[in-house]
Amino acid sequence: MAIQHPLLYPLASAAQISQTPSRADGVPDWLEEDLRAEGCRLIQSAGILLGTPQVVMATAQVLFQRFWYVTSMREFSILEVAMGALYLASKLEEHIARMRDIINTFDLLLSRLRYTLSHPSMPLDGFQYTPMSYYSDEYYAYKDELIIGEMQLLKRLAFNVQVQLPYNTMVNYLNVLGLGRIEDIAQMAWSFLNDALQTPVYAVYPFPTIACASIHLAARQARVVLPEPPEHEPWWELFDTDFEDIEQVCVWVLRLYSKQDEKEREEVFRLLLGGRKEVKKWLEDNSAKNDVAMEHLNQH
Amino acid sequence: MNYIQLEKLGEGTYATVYKGRSRATNEIVALKEIHLDPEEGTPSTAIREISLMKELNHPNILHLYDVIHTENKLVLVFEYCDQDLKRYMDTHGVRGALDPATVRSFMYQLLRGTAYCHDNRVLHRDLKPQNLLINRKGELKIGDFGLARAYGVPVNTYSNEVVTLWYRAPDVLMGSRNYDAAIDIWSCGCIMAEMITGMPLFRGRDNPDQLLAIMKIIGTPEDRVIKKMAQETPDIQFKSYPRFPKVPWPNILPGASAQACDLIDRLLQFDPTSRPHALDALFHPYFTDPTAHHPNSSSVPQPVPVGVMPAPVFHVLPNGQSVYMPQPSNAPGTRAAAPQPYQYAAMNDPSMARHPAYPEQGHHAAFGGQPMHHAPQYAQVPTYGYGQHVHPQSHLQQAQPQQQQQPQHPVYPVAGYPQYPGR
Repeated sequence: MAIQHPLLYPLASAAQISQTPSRADGVPDWLEEDLRAEGCRLIQSAGILLGTPQVVMATAQVLFQRFWYVTSMREFSILEVAMGALYLASKLEEHIARMRDIINTFDLLLSRLRYTLSHPSMPLDGFQYTPMSYYSDEYYAYKDELIIGEMQLLKRLAFNVQVQLPYNTMVNYLNVLGLGRIEDIAQMAWSFLNDALQTPVYAVYPFPTIACASIHLAARQARVVLPEPPEHEPWWELFDTDFEDIEQVCVWVLRLYSKQDEKEREEVFRLLLGGRKEVKKWLEDNSAKNDVAMEHLNQH
Repeated sequence: MNYIQLEKLGEGTYATVYKGRSRATNEIVALKEIHLDPEEGTPSTAIREISLMKELNHPNILHLYDVIHTENKLVLVFEYCDQDLKRYMDTHGVRGALDPATVRSFMYQLLRGTAYCHDNRVLHRDLKPQNLLINRKGELKIGDFGLARAYGVPVNTYSNEVVTLWYRAPDVLMGSRNYDAAIDIWSCGCIMAEMITGMPLFRGRDNPDQLLAIMKIIGTPEDRVIKKMAQETPDIQFKSYPRFPKVPWPNILPGASAQACDLIDRLLQFDPTSRPHALDALFHPYFTDPTAHHPNSSSVPQPVPVGVMPAPVFHVLPNGQSVYMPQPSNAPGTRAAAPQPYQYAAMNDPSMARHPAYPEQGHHAAFGGQPMHHAPQYAQVPTYGYGQHVHPQSHLQQAQPQQQQQPQHPVYPVAGYPQYPGR
């Protein structure tokens, strides 16, 4: 089943994938990947606290991922794009969230993050949140960021904001494969789809590929053998997908579960909280470090 | 800006429309100005309208040429049309009623545009005469996609505050949230009746009153139908309704042909699954039967200025069917295209006959006797085992016998399975 309506389902181009704008600005691979994932987690937690349906959060995360294929993290902060994406997705999916609610939720999440960073050994129980006052400057600063985020998402994605999620497709595929009644597999494949939202795959691969990848992963976990070469015709051909693509999606998803370096993790949080100013500073520091290292090499 | 703003054409709740002229080509366009509210950001209607309309390219859908995005406003540049269908009916009809040939031409174009939307998985959700635009060539263009949305497998629930009340389908009035393309088909039926009589068909004051107005004309559906609908859409609130008999269509639409009445009857089915798809409706004898009308007998749209393209005309095919052929478009920004063989191909191409909508060669077989019962297009996902799946890819069917011999207890890990690289 090829994608029938590619027009309503924009994907990143090969050039955008091979070098994202952030990478062109010197942000290393790992940092971009982690910042994207953290931003998505932020959207997901905010959505849960706001009580929006999963479809809104999923759409927001896909828009968020798409955005970083057209814009560098040096130009825009993760936070403003994340807030803008959630607000935009709530409009697209007809569950409009109030702007003030979104802002308060993000503020809560960020304060909690600041607390864990400054008190690394303390449990989260000690954390106390005082909401912003109704007319505080802080609120208006947030609001400007949100509006700019939404506008830039629309502008830079050229209104390519329609998102097709693979959840229904995945369930249909499972039924076709005769696995629909096995709850473990269905649940696990569903969870893989949720987790895959933190990776860029939704902006890069067509949704049938992502659905197949989640089934592939879930079947491996549940130790169910699907028809595969060399003995059988490959099952993924039934859905017109390519195994190389499925594997790539699996790699992206499985990388989420690898343990992160503590230092790197802290760095990512710091950059997330600091926004684009902090990213700029980080880039300058690191390029300076690199220059020193290069000079050092040249001298010897 | 590349456009000169001319006089104001109209003002809506969130937008103002101006006539405009392109500086580069001197062509006339319509400029829809949307102010960005600092409290709400970009209006969701504008987001929908742009994100969907920029992908739709069809002679019966208003063309969106360009979007100008500035700090505090959005300007959408549309192709220019002289008036909407409402005003066209007021100025050209007899007390609003249009002549049969015009109704037929407009209905054909409306259904064709709607079929194109649905084919691209877009629901318009607000079809009404005010949103259908007519240009000087008598071409009908569907506009205002502010309430439209893309739809997929019907699992999502959508807002049921859609469609202007008088054109709202009964299933939506009853609270359905997982409606599909049939919601637009209902509106098409209402518009057709309105073009014939000059008056909106169902004029309710509010939600329950609208439902009563519908039942007073098409009759209260049997309990069986309502129960079936309630089963298919859990959101529907089931109440007991007063019993109204069905009023025969010729009483309501005096002067309409039998075929017109039959088409309206099919479009205005209470049960959404009984309404035809837009594409199927185009093959209704009302459009295809050459004996019913003499094509070209009446110049379809009245105001055809000298030197402008002729009105849409119906061509008679060798097999006796008459078809509407779109004329070359002179819209700014597009080259004058040759007449598109859209319907032509559909009717003569043998491969189209294998489309499930057309069981046999004869397209109107579906309209012969009994009403068509379309199963919802995406709802049927039978739990295929390996043995019985039906899929266009036949190579998998060849693989079936092997697949059935799979070991009962699979072995893990499977040899040759690639190792996933770590970080």
